[in-house]
Amino acid sequence: MTTGTVTTITPMPGGISMAVGVGHYLVVGAVLLLLGVFGIFLNRKNIIVIMMSIELILLAVNINLVAFSASLGDLAGQVLAMFVLTVAAAEAAIGLAIVVVYFRNRGSIQVEDVGLMKG
Amino acid sequence: MIYAIAILSPLAGCLLAGIFGRRFGDTYAKIVTIGFMILAALCAEISLSQVLFAEQPPEPVILATWFDIGGFRLDWALRRDTLSSAMVAMVAPVATLIHIYSVGYMAHERRSFRFFAYLSLFTFAMLMLVTANNLVQLFFGWEGVGLASYLLIGYWYDRPSANRAAMKAFIVNRVGDLFFALGIALVFQLFGSVEFPVIFAHIPDHQDALYHVLGHTWRAYEVIGFLLFIGAMGKSAQLGLHTWLPDAMEGPTPVSALIHAATMVTAGVFLMARMSYIMESAPGALTFVMLIGASTCIFAATIACVQNDIKRVIAYSTCSQLGYMFMAAGAGAYQASVFHLITHAFFKALLFLCAGSVIHAMSDEQDMRKMGGIWRMVPWTYTCMWLGSLAIAGIPFFAGYWSKDAILEATWASHNPLAGYGYLMGVLAAFLTAFYSWRLIIMTFHGTPRADKHTMEHVHESTPWMVAPLVILAFGAVFAGWLLHGWFIGEDQAEFWAGAIHVGANNHVLHDMENIPSIIGLLPTITGVLGIALAYVMYMLVPSLPGRLASTFQPIYQFLLHKWYFDELYDFLFVRPIQRLARVLWHVGDEKLIDGMPNSAAALAAGGSAQVVKIQTGSIAVYAFTMLIGLVVLISIFLLFR
Amino acid sequence: MINQNWILALPEIVLAICAMAILVFGVLWKRSNPSFPCAMLALASLLLAGVLALSAPLGSAYGGLFAVDHFAVFMKLLIVAGAGLSLILSIDYNVQTGIDRFEFPVLILLCTVGMMIMASATNLMSLYIGLELQSLSIYVMASFNRDDLRSSEAGLKYFVLGALASGLLLYGASLAYGFNGSMDFAQLRAGLTSTNPPAGLVIGIVFIVAGLAFKISAVPFHMWTPDVYEGAPTPVTAFMSTAPKVAAIALLLRALEVPFGHLGQSWTQLVVLVSIASMLLGSLAAIGQTSIKRLMAYSSIGHMGYALIGLATNSQAGIQGVLVYMVTYVFMSAGVFACVIAMRRQGLALEKISDLSGLARTDPMLALAFAIFMFSMAGIPPFSGFFGKLYVFYAAVQAGYWTLAVIGVLTSVIGAYYYLRVIKVMYFDDAQPAFDARSPSLSFVAAVGALVTVLFFVFPAPIVNAAQIAASALFG
Repeated sequence: MTTGTVTTITPMPGGISMAVGVGHYLVVGAVLLLLGVFGIFLNRKNIIVIMMSIELILLAVNINLVAFSASLGDLAGQVLAMFVLTVAAAEAAIGLAIVVVYFRNRGSIQVEDVGLMKG
Repeated sequence: MIYAIAILSPLAGCLLAGIFGRRFGDTYAKIVTIGFMILAALCAEISLSQVLFAEQPPEPVILATWFDIGGFRLDWALRRDTLSSAMVAMVAPVATLIHIYSVGYMAHERRSFRFFAYLSLFTFAMLMLVTANNLVQLFFGWEGVGLASYLLIGYWYDRPSANRAAMKAFIVNRVGDLFFALGIALVFQLFGSVEFPVIFAHIPDHQDALYHVLGHTWRAYEVIGFLLFIGAMGKSAQLGLHTWLPDAMEGPTPVSALIHAATMVTAGVFLMARMSYIMESAPGALTFVMLIGASTCIFAATIACVQNDIKRVIAYSTCSQLGYMFMAAGAGAYQASVFHLITHAFFKALLFLCAGSVIHAMSDEQDMRKMGGIWRMVPWTYTCMWLGSLAIAGIPFFAGYWSKDAILEATWASHNPLAGYGYLMGVLAAFLTAFYSWRLIIMTFHGTPRADKHTMEHVHESTPWMVAPLVILAFGAVFAGWLLHGWFIGEDQAEFWAGAIHVGANNHVLHDMENIPSIIGLLPTITGVLGIALAYVMYMLVPSLPGRLASTFQPIYQFLLHKWYFDELYDFLFVRPIQRLARVLWHVGDEKLIDGMPNSAAALAAGGSAQVVKIQTGSIAVYAFTMLIGLVVLISIFLLFR
Repeated sequence: MINQNWILALPEIVLAICAMAILVFGVLWKRSNPSFPCAMLALASLLLAGVLALSAPLGSAYGGLFAVDHFAVFMKLLIVAGAGLSLILSIDYNVQTGIDRFEFPVLILLCTVGMMIMASATNLMSLYIGLELQSLSIYVMASFNRDDLRSSEAGLKYFVLGALASGLLLYGASLAYGFNGSMDFAQLRAGLTSTNPPAGLVIGIVFIVAGLAFKISAVPFHMWTPDVYEGAPTPVTAFMSTAPKVAAIALLLRALEVPFGHLGQSWTQLVVLVSIASMLLGSLAAIGQTSIKRLMAYSSIGHMGYALIGLATNSQAGIQGVLVYMVTYVFMSAGVFACVIAMRRQGLALEKISDLSGLARTDPMLALAFAIFMFSMAGIPPFSGFFGKLYVFYAAVQAGYWTLAVIGVLTSVIGAYYYLRVIKVMYFDDAQPAFDARSPSLSFVAAVGALVTVLFFVFPAPIVNAAQIAASALFG
């Protein structure tokens, strides 16, 4: 859905004529995002896969941020990318801990087993 | 500051007693409430003296902002003019005395902390009412005293009659309150504000404002004055809306003394005085006030002459005295009206508390036909009852004499079209007042004892808790008029009131009443003495006379005994048709229409609920999918309609 | 000479240091269970942070990452109040449930730091850091009862969906940054001069809104709410329904009003849709609930719908309405959960509505408090909930959003049904055995909530005026 719009951004100025433009990076980012998102709700198997999908989404964001940072010549994007990496590590640690706690109680980390509470 | 303490400390007492009373017990509640009441009374008196000796009227004490919505601003403020201060200085001490009296009266009552909390709540609401600086705060106090009155009348909630009386008082008052609220709304519409300073300052601007109601054109002030007076009628139990007051005697006697004699019922009179700026511009409404006041005065007095319940006699006497106060307001002598309000507070509280003391002595007997012959056994009560009766009968130099005379003279001197009617009714009522007061004294204290032997053995003077307030109030009943008349209605009255009460440019009632024929001034006193004499003859010398009179004039006697059949009339006119209508509405309107529509709507909602909950499957994948779908929908809408 | 940045961020810095100090203290304290002293210390630090927030000077720090204005101060005080009340609720509950570990107050403190940063964030970067600090703490707290299957499931669900929401928000932030060249709110605003922004930016805004809507559990990002509310330990539920909602609303208001305020006519439609959907779902889905915690979950969804009405008007009066609404909501909510935690019979925590039957006879004070909160949540005058609704509806009508106001009133009527049902069960159904004795901490929170709820109409002016000043800070 984002692919149609990135054409409004001019490719990175100067350098090689066959240069990979910022638009290409955005496409990669968007694809990664979609992969991650689909991974979360199409996956019927394992919670670990969901956590991997979340990492994919964050990677998509990082690619976006770094690409924009480079094209804008502004460091803020890269700074945020570092923050995102750090927070993602913390998030993964907490997420895995929760999964372990859940496994201890339930004896399973199958996605379809997570549905005790509903309605 | 001191003023604010006077107003707020009853609230503190009420809260502390009400919240912690159950835990710490009744003694604690009594100490707390009475302690705060004494504090309030002291502060009230200090504050009054400050106002009286101040160079100019002090500014209102602003406690906090209540509402500030789009140009409509209301403050919690305490008005500090002479009228408010004088009312506070009357209400706080009288209420304090009644708190103290209640310690003795409610001594046998368990869990009486509730009672003391309610009494303090009532006092607070009344003080809020009289110190309000805007109509909405006044209405807050107005409803507050109504609530406290409801709670206190129904204090013995296990008695069906008390519950009925409480409900009756509440409902009848609602009728008046509706009109009062309408009046407030019109004031706001006219002035764009409900703050008293704003209203009073802009009185001349709207003299020619008109309303078109029911095809007629009325001056705005007449309409507002009329509505405010109907509100006052409800609270002050004037003819037509008076039916709740006698029934309210179901509450404990201190309540009757505090609420239904000394303070709450005078709220209507206070309202007239407070809104004198508007009333003075509404001569038509004043004529109506005079008509109702004078009629109530004579009407209630006639009923009081035949009642046998000691508290009901005094209740009707209250009704009648309130009539006097409204007559004074109708005559344009608001000062005299407030003066009578203050003196009346003393002697009526005294009479009620004496009655309570008698009832206590007679083992909770209230029927005067079963009393008599006890005057040697209750000397203090007996003496105080005499002093109170002398005051109410207008015997010279007792409190009632000064104020009642002033009212009747002012009525005679006023330009009100109904002044003559008012004066005549007032004099007749003065005669009847003296008559029923002595009828009460003689039937209660003299003659042969008519109670059974067991009761007579237990007749005793009350405890000092009850006697002390009686004595203090008796001083008020004797001296209040003499002490205060110079300030309230004498030469210095204009200086004393300092603009708190407004009188129109053509209103010289207080001046004119000095120059009336002396017989006019003497007549009430003479009729009063005659009334006492008649009562003495009928009940002391020839005790068989009343019975013979009653059987000879059976229809009149029955008419009076049944209180002019007001309750029956209302029952027929309003209560039963409304009950019938309610039943029809219940079966047809409620069960078929009103229940039917929401029931089907509710079924719809419940069905929708079941559908909505279905998507809540508990699965993470579904939840994430919903979020994504939502996101896509939002993006599409945003892109399509941007 | 102290750095100006430090002075402005002093409440957050102090709170973070306190949190870490308490953590160390808890580890080193060997004599007895350190959870109670830690909770007390945490309360003291919250109090300190509140005082500091109130007395902090106004200004902007860290190169525009962090701003202290009246809006931020208002929100921080409300956040601290919500966190403090929830912390008090947790003290006795945790002991009775056997989860009285000293990390709990530390997590609440860290979460509060995150929320305070959210209230002050004026840059996408600080927005993200604050949001994550808050979220990560709550993930842990939701699964704090680690031997309980439902608690761990709640934590798991909240974690997965929350991480997804953060990812989406972050993706939106990256787009907004890329298409505008800056992460700073003020520069974003300056850069957005055209009324017809590029599509990438628009998509970025929607992603950001979606991420924040998840945090306030607005439809359609609400799905986690009932399950997590039900499964999490009740004090955590209380916490989630008070302070984080305030913080997320603060962020939403600031992120939409400051950088994108003049694009109002486009994003208000989104907010209108979300608001209507939340109000409808909140009132409809709650009808069939039997668990009081699930009921409160749907109720909070509905309440956020009402609060969003104010944002949808995109006017200062509307924002003021939102702020007043949040104040009334926080205290009602804390009070309700105090009552819910008091539902305990023979040591067992109860959460069915039917367990409340006849409460008016066995514990009249608790029933009274519960009834007050229910009336207030239903928006019945003179309780504070009525005034919160009044302000937002009034703003909606003034801005011409009649549909919103009408739907709001209709859903309030539907909502009144289930709130009043609770009261009916308490007052008119047959009495059951009495609950266990209430601990004083619960009575305290319930009393505070009830007092604010009941007395709001007497002294609305301070709160309303403060909300007005705070709202005007956003419109500068």
